[in-house]
Amino acid sequence: MKDFEYIQPETVEAATAALATKENADWATAKARVFGGGQDLLGEMKTGLEEPSALVNVKWIQGLGGVTQADGGNLKFGATTKLRALEGLFSSGAFQVLSEAAKTIGSPQIRTQATLAGNLCQRPRCLYYRRPEAKCLKKGGDECFAYGGYNKFNAILGGGPSYIVHPSDMGPALMALDAQIEISDSKGTTEMALDDFFTLPSDGDVTRENVLRPDQVVISLRTGLDTPSEWRSTYLKFQERDGFDFALSAVALSLRVQNGAITDARIVLGGVAPRPWRCREAEQLLLGSMEAASLAKRGAAAADAALLGAEPLEHNAYKVPLTKGLLQRALRQLTA
Amino acid sequence: MLAMSTPISLELSINDDRVRASVPAHWTLLELLRYELGLTGTKQGCDKGDCGACTVLIDGKPQLSCLILAANAEGKKVQTIEGLQPAHRKAGGVGLDPVQDAFDRCGALQCGFCQSGMMLSARALLNENPTPDRTEIRQALSGNLCRCTGYTQIVQAVELAIAESTGAEPESPSWSDGNPWKSTTSLSGKNGGDA
Amino acid sequence: MSTTPQQNADELAWPAPEKRRSIGKDTRRIDGPAKVTGMARYSHDVRLPGMVYARFVTCALPAAAIELDLTAALAVPGVVEVVRVVGDSTLYLGQPIAAVTAETPEAAAEGARAVAVTLTELPWAVTAEQSLAPDAPKVNPRGNIGRERTQEEGDIEAGFAASDAIVEATYTIPIQHHSCLETHGMVVDYRGGDSAVIHGSVQGTFALLDGPPDSLGLDASMVEGDVQHMGGGFGSKFGIGIEGKIACEIAKRLGRPVHLMMDRETEFHASGNRSGNSVTIKAGASKDGVIQALVADSNKLGGLSGGSYAGLPYVYSVANFSSTSRSVYTNTDGNRAFRAPGHPQASFGMESLIDELAYAIGKDLVEMRLANLPDDEQHSVWRRQLRRVADEIGWNEHPYKSAPGPHKVEGGREYVEGIGFGISVWGGGGYPSCEVEARVDREGSLIVSVGVQDLGTGSRTLVAMVAADEFGLEVHQVTARIGNTRFGNGVMSGGSVTTASLAPAVKDASNKMRAALIALVATNTGKDASALSFADGGVIVGDGLRVSWRDACALCPAGGLTTHGVFQKALQSSGVHGAQAARVRIDLVTGEVKVLKMVAIHDMGIALNPMAVRSQIQGAMVQAVSYALFEERLIDADLGIALNPNFESYRLANVHSIPEMTVIIDDEDGRGVIGIGEPPAIPGIGAIAGAIQNACGVRVRDMPLSPTKILIGLEELRRS
Repeated sequence: MKDFEYIQPETVEAATAALATKENADWATAKARVFGGGQDLLGEMKTGLEEPSALVNVKWIQGLGGVTQADGGNLKFGATTKLRALEGLFSSGAFQVLSEAAKTIGSPQIRTQATLAGNLCQRPRCLYYRRPEAKCLKKGGDECFAYGGYNKFNAILGGGPSYIVHPSDMGPALMALDAQIEISDSKGTTEMALDDFFTLPSDGDVTRENVLRPDQVVISLRTGLDTPSEWRSTYLKFQERDGFDFALSAVALSLRVQNGAITDARIVLGGVAPRPWRCREAEQLLLGSMEAASLAKRGAAAADAALLGAEPLEHNAYKVPLTKGLLQRALRQLTA
Repeated sequence: MLAMSTPISLELSINDDRVRASVPAHWTLLELLRYELGLTGTKQGCDKGDCGACTVLIDGKPQLSCLILAANAEGKKVQTIEGLQPAHRKAGGVGLDPVQDAFDRCGALQCGFCQSGMMLSARALLNENPTPDRTEIRQALSGNLCRCTGYTQIVQAVELAIAESTGAEPESPSWSDGNPWKSTTSLSGKNGGDA
Repeated sequence: MSTTPQQNADELAWPAPEKRRSIGKDTRRIDGPAKVTGMARYSHDVRLPGMVYARFVTCALPAAAIELDLTAALAVPGVVEVVRVVGDSTLYLGQPIAAVTAETPEAAAEGARAVAVTLTELPWAVTAEQSLAPDAPKVNPRGNIGRERTQEEGDIEAGFAASDAIVEATYTIPIQHHSCLETHGMVVDYRGGDSAVIHGSVQGTFALLDGPPDSLGLDASMVEGDVQHMGGGFGSKFGIGIEGKIACEIAKRLGRPVHLMMDRETEFHASGNRSGNSVTIKAGASKDGVIQALVADSNKLGGLSGGSYAGLPYVYSVANFSSTSRSVYTNTDGNRAFRAPGHPQASFGMESLIDELAYAIGKDLVEMRLANLPDDEQHSVWRRQLRRVADEIGWNEHPYKSAPGPHKVEGGREYVEGIGFGISVWGGGGYPSCEVEARVDREGSLIVSVGVQDLGTGSRTLVAMVAADEFGLEVHQVTARIGNTRFGNGVMSGGSVTTASLAPAVKDASNKMRAALIALVATNTGKDASALSFADGGVIVGDGLRVSWRDACALCPAGGLTTHGVFQKALQSSGVHGAQAARVRIDLVTGEVKVLKMVAIHDMGIALNPMAVRSQIQGAMVQAVSYALFEERLIDADLGIALNPNFESYRLANVHSIPEMTVIIDDEDGRGVIGIGEPPAIPGIGAIAGAIQNACGVRVRDMPLSPTKILIGLEELRRS
């Protein structure tokens, strides 16, 4: 890969100061990149998709990693928390979805190094995006080659004009817990719903998957559930090659159960849309009793509702039954 | 804030040796090991994190040396395949590290190119969990590709290393009538021990 | 002193099982310790003073006129030279067009990226459809369709008339990559002067003398080739390739050692592959299961090469058939040999067809196969083997024998299991090639040398085992020296010929040495040589007397004894039958195929090292799992660009994908040694495809048998 300046700040302020150049206010001109685990970025640099002139390594900034308690039983995760650390944290309860999602990511080697924020901010795995010779929409070109090309792995929901799918597993998992994301730049810190962090290609900048600017640093992720102790959650991911692959489809499901009834739910899909895909209408259909037959019926209705707007491309129609099936399986497992 | 310009001066521990090196910022740890230090037991299979042949232990945990900047290993304790046996001996052991010995005895290798990474992934697992079950073994090895062996002997080797370290009788693999580990017609465990 | 005593034909035979010491027994690799400690040196690991590193720049299109501007690349710090390695235009996707040489591999890679390439697209074809289109560009100057062959027997019309069911189907199989963990390449140790040493990752040590001397402008006798360890070949590493030729040329120009190992992406583009195939079949069977007629038409998709296909009917006996195959050329890298070339492709179509016919007439899948394997001498082996794997896989207790299992999620059922079968045929015999030297000195060293290479199959260990057994020594008492052109000629490892070519020659050399040592002892003790024999590492003289190995060796002249062995036909044989069965579990929700268990039985005469044999067979079965379920080279047919030249999206099976595997080494049948590298790689994909249909009724006719296709198939079944 191309040589670069390696900057290793010890504080968030120092990091954002290093990033706060004029050219770094815009992705089109940005020369510096925030560097965390580097498990995606180094790959992009090796293939020439990214050629930053400076890397700002945030991994050694004190206090940017680790898990702390937040309001009302919620949790706050530092941006550089390693995926490996999340794997074994939760085996039940509201946050189980996080450990289950973390376990499905990459290989053990990758999880050792990869960070939570890096997983949210990683770039698409679209076969065309990853080929330097294909100057696609995502790379400033004027065509999404997957749309009329080989699109087995591409979007069935929310696509257009780009049809990438978002590769993150932690994104759907965190959104199923109403997570907030904290972001800093040289002017200060802001927090927003993770739901608002991710963008669709039709929202604005088709070359990006979220609102983060190149001069900003992700600081933390905080869950935002009302009374987490009443919630339970799970993550089901289906990958073509077990043990080390990206999702063909994934479902993050969380349920609030009070007095034996589902009173609130979150359904967030991964691997099917250009961003983690929340299914609000379907969530409402899940509310009600925990009686198995009724739940199965509502689960089927919710699955249909979740995929109602699906527009499969030539090679990815399988994602519709797959996602419906995964959602119902997740519901069965979470209510068993 | 510490701003560095290339080349970067590094100090790290590799196989318990204190190593000072000066490398460009964009060099990976794999390049430092293979092309600067001559530690070629760490293999270069794909150079992008897909095959696991370049796996090393950093502070005891498995990582891909092709996806780590050398600069990022500053101050870390790196262990490569070359360091496995010395570390075992330093800790009072004899012969090979039990993982290496088991891989050898089980024939858990053909061409051997994936082996260093495979064994280090196994070693990392056993460091953390001395008695993993088969599912945990598979999870630990899921990032290491092997094109030759079919993996079965590899899993059996890890299970043999576990059984012996806990003093248990290793389970006989499905293909064996008796207990192949006790075979007198194979080379004895001792002879294979010294490379 | 060189001795070649009279050959005693009686003695040159493999000992009876009870007289074997290491052969026939699980024997650890003698290079195991070197490999597990990371000390084994592969070509990729060779480091030499003043060595430079070279990398290729490849063509991003299937065919293009090439203009290069090397200015920027030459300006990259550390870059030593950049050369064009192609003529005016390219012929295949990913063809190397320039080589960049630098002081470090990093600088070479950076230099390669800095080469400014202007491609002017030329007409191309990357799919069979494009190549066969009326206005297709000429991929091959002699036409896009290569030699067409038709084989015919019997009366097809009568066969169809006698059929109770007819199946028409097209089975396709994508191009598969060898995916050697060590990429292709070599290190050329040339520093000016009149000699060179070449360390190559090749399947034939002596391939390193085929080309390099010319490229280096050296006398062949002054070039040494060395292959101590190599990281997998599977058929793709017979020659030195363009990478070897260019490496030598760079070394010659610079007078410096050159390290040119392909990067992974170039490896995918330009190091060969297993040809794809598409076969359209119409076949009919009568109610008794006999295939009455078969008409097959197949396209071999080998890129610029012809592809390979074993033809139909594969193994099974069909009285009335017509089988046509032809090569269809495309602007992609040519196919090379790959573990039983052409056989898995033929097996996939044949076994799939048999399953479909069986279901059409409601016949048990095993009975259907037996109905097409006559009870004669040759076919009876398969009949026996098929029954054996059926027993082992649990066919007798299996509920879905003549109709597939359920395809609906209902009653809490989300998974369903099925079983499938496949059979195979291969040669595996040896031929005169290896020239083995055995040498004993007065101190008792026994050194056996031959230039043959070890791909990881264990040929180095085999040399020591065979020699050790001849004298009743332990394996570790023998030093095996292989993998160098300074030693006697070695066979190339391909076609499963290595063991059957090598072991007889090693035995021959050892046998002669045995006779020579016995002659010395006889002279020394005044006994008749015919009364003496080797046992337990010594010479039995008689009367309770025994001369130890060391004492016997001490009788050698000062220069030791040397014998030479060559191929001995009687010690080997040819012809490997095989049958495999697979049990899969289908997840009806996701379409996931989990291969739960595979059983393999193959016959190979004497299995010299069962541990190595099992490893070959298990490795082949997992390659079949990988091939069946995951592997597929993808090229965008409109853009002509490669979509997955990497291990992320060209998926290989990992440790999660492996089934429980039962390997049955078939009983010895009195034959000599036979190679086993390729045959077990044949039947697995057909067995897995069959097991999928058996489980849930979905017949996926185009590999890979992805969950995505199974899901669509399940949807269609539910609708119908």
